[in-house]
Amino acid sequence: MRTTRRQFLALTVGATAAASTRLHVAPAFAQSGPVRLGVLAAKAGVLAPVGESGLRGVQWATDRINAAGGILGRRIELVIEEESSPKDTVERFRKLALHDKVDAVTGAISTGVGLALGPVAEEMKTIWLAWDATTQKGVEETIARPKYSFRSTDNECEAVMASILTARQWKGKFKTVAGINPDYSYGRDNWAAFLAIMKKYGIEVQVVSELWPKLGATDFTAHVAALGQARPDLIFSCHWAGDTPIFMKQAHGAGLTKSTRFVLTTGGGVHESLKKEFTPEGAILGYNTFYFEYARMSALGKEFVRWHAEKFKEWPNYESDHGYFTIVAYKAAVERAAKAAAGKWPAQDAIIQALEGVEAESLSGPRRYREDHIMEATFFQGTTTHKNKHDFVTIDPVETMTTKQIQKPSGVGLYDWINGWKV
Amino acid sequence: MLFLVAAGLQLVFGVQRILNLACGSFYALGAYTGVSAVTWALGHGLPASLFVLALLAGGLALAVIGPPLERLLSRIYDRDESFQLLLTFALVLMLEDVMRFVWGSAPVQLRGAYLVYGQVTVAGSTVPVYNLLVIAAGGAIALGMGLLLTRTRFGRIVRATAENREMAAALGVDMRRVYRRVFTLGVVLGTVGGALVIPATAAVSEMAIEVIVEAFAVVVIGGLGSMRGAAVGALIVGLLKAGAIATWPEVEMLAIYVVVIGVLVLRPAGLFAGATP
Repeated sequence: MRTTRRQFLALTVGATAAASTRLHVAPAFAQSGPVRLGVLAAKAGVLAPVGESGLRGVQWATDRINAAGGILGRRIELVIEEESSPKDTVERFRKLALHDKVDAVTGAISTGVGLALGPVAEEMKTIWLAWDATTQKGVEETIARPKYSFRSTDNECEAVMASILTARQWKGKFKTVAGINPDYSYGRDNWAAFLAIMKKYGIEVQVVSELWPKLGATDFTAHVAALGQARPDLIFSCHWAGDTPIFMKQAHGAGLTKSTRFVLTTGGGVHESLKKEFTPEGAILGYNTFYFEYARMSALGKEFVRWHAEKFKEWPNYESDHGYFTIVAYKAAVERAAKAAAGKWPAQDAIIQALEGVEAESLSGPRRYREDHIMEATFFQGTTTHKNKHDFVTIDPVETMTTKQIQKPSGVGLYDWINGWKV
Repeated sequence: MLFLVAAGLQLVFGVQRILNLACGSFYALGAYTGVSAVTWALGHGLPASLFVLALLAGGLALAVIGPPLERLLSRIYDRDESFQLLLTFALVLMLEDVMRFVWGSAPVQLRGAYLVYGQVTVAGSTVPVYNLLVIAAGGAIALGMGLLLTRTRFGRIVRATAENREMAAALGVDMRRVYRRVFTLGVVLGTVGGALVIPATAAVSEMAIEVIVEAFAVVVIGGLGSMRGAAVGALIVGLLKAGAIATWPEVEMLAIYVVVIGVLVLRPAGLFAGATP
């Protein structure tokens, strides 16, 4: 193949342009150029809708901050990579740190990925602000007292809150219980937390069925048949992905929604898929840390909901807020550290120190990072209702609890903490 | 439904000697198309009780992708199995991205169809009538396939080709045409399977991989290339799963693979190996 002179010229110009942009982001210019933030967002599989949601929050925060002049006058530039398997995601994290020379990385939802990223963030000495990815098991061991990793809220908060609501509202109204939870540490820990809290509240339950479908299953007919045979008074499920509506649909098909009480700790993450035709009223449903129709939502939250609904024709869920908070928390920390550095861009260690205990306004109200790098936020759950303008269920009344109430404090084991409650 | 996917796999392997991983993608494609077809048809005034027709039409319409894909695969008919696996797996990945491109990454549901035919109570359990319809459809398709292969001229040619390719060609059978038709039939078995299952579930782009794994378990148990093997294997896998979940949920996957290993050790060719396809 011969190259014409014109093509050759075009190539040369392109290469020069590419080389000069490279130069532009070289570390020597880093203090005056844009702040580069790496993003790890899932784009395939059951995690995809959640990853997409987190990314929207990050993008919205970035656009607003840039429109208002950036962080200390520096624009934010996002370098977006994909979260997939732990191995590949670790490689992308390294690429972000070494090649793109990002100032910090935000993202990651899967606990499997999170456990792999924790040690790498320490090794690469790169700040990592997780969206989720923080189930109990393994986190203490692999990301014990991290310097560079900042975690989300404990994943068990939702189960703890839903269990407390169950005990308060339905004590004495149920005896036999069944659990159907995804088969990995998240599902197992949540179910164990539920049983521990029932015991704490003096509710003697009889477990008639414990089912562990694999995460992302698309057929629950056999599980639903087993539940139908067990005839529990209450079914506890912490499904949170695309498998949630499938389970509810098939459970409804088998007549389970008529007489059984449902506790869906995390289904609010896929709230629009929980259609009225198969999701009953009167179930306990959790929306994690953001409820799109919360009556007392701040003006900021309402603005985001409006923008999201208009742009994507969807009502946002909690992961957007996790994403949003990581960006505004980073900005708040930089500005906090800059005060001590006479307004100059602070060193990374100073930013990390400022992130510890930093407070910022998230879409669902004030949030902060605890000194041990764990997020504090407000959780939203309630009783499902069909009385709304949508074709899916919403909750009314809405209950809120803060992580002060439902998240174990620093340095205490989950079950020790629950057993120590005074009820 | 597993039977239909496995049957497609069996048919294509039996005749063309191609191990087609993409059978799982046809299943997923059928599911997505089923949702779109029914949603469109209901929007255009089709009574809800006839939604099954739209579903089947959607599944059958996907036959159009059969011939071009067969052409693509025809390049590797005489190559090593590893090439076939590579190419068909590439198809799986590409089709997954196509589905994500067309239908998005969020799960796609079919609204308001599952319980149109009501529910019945069988031995104390409530079962949607639609589930029974699907079981009946699976049986009918199995029977139809049996008749097609044993009683028709096309079936005779297909069996002859599976038995001895060169001889059939020497006797004047147009191989290209047989291959094209068989492959398309394999595609349709998968897409109709996916379409039929969708009212009870939701379409997600990774359902392809999930079903491939199970279809291979079915095929190993039943015997590669055997139709009857596909039916019996699917039944065994389905019953094992249900039985395990009802009694000891932890061993659901284990039980299936214990049987797979048992079959591989005791009858390496599968339960129905050597039988005509």
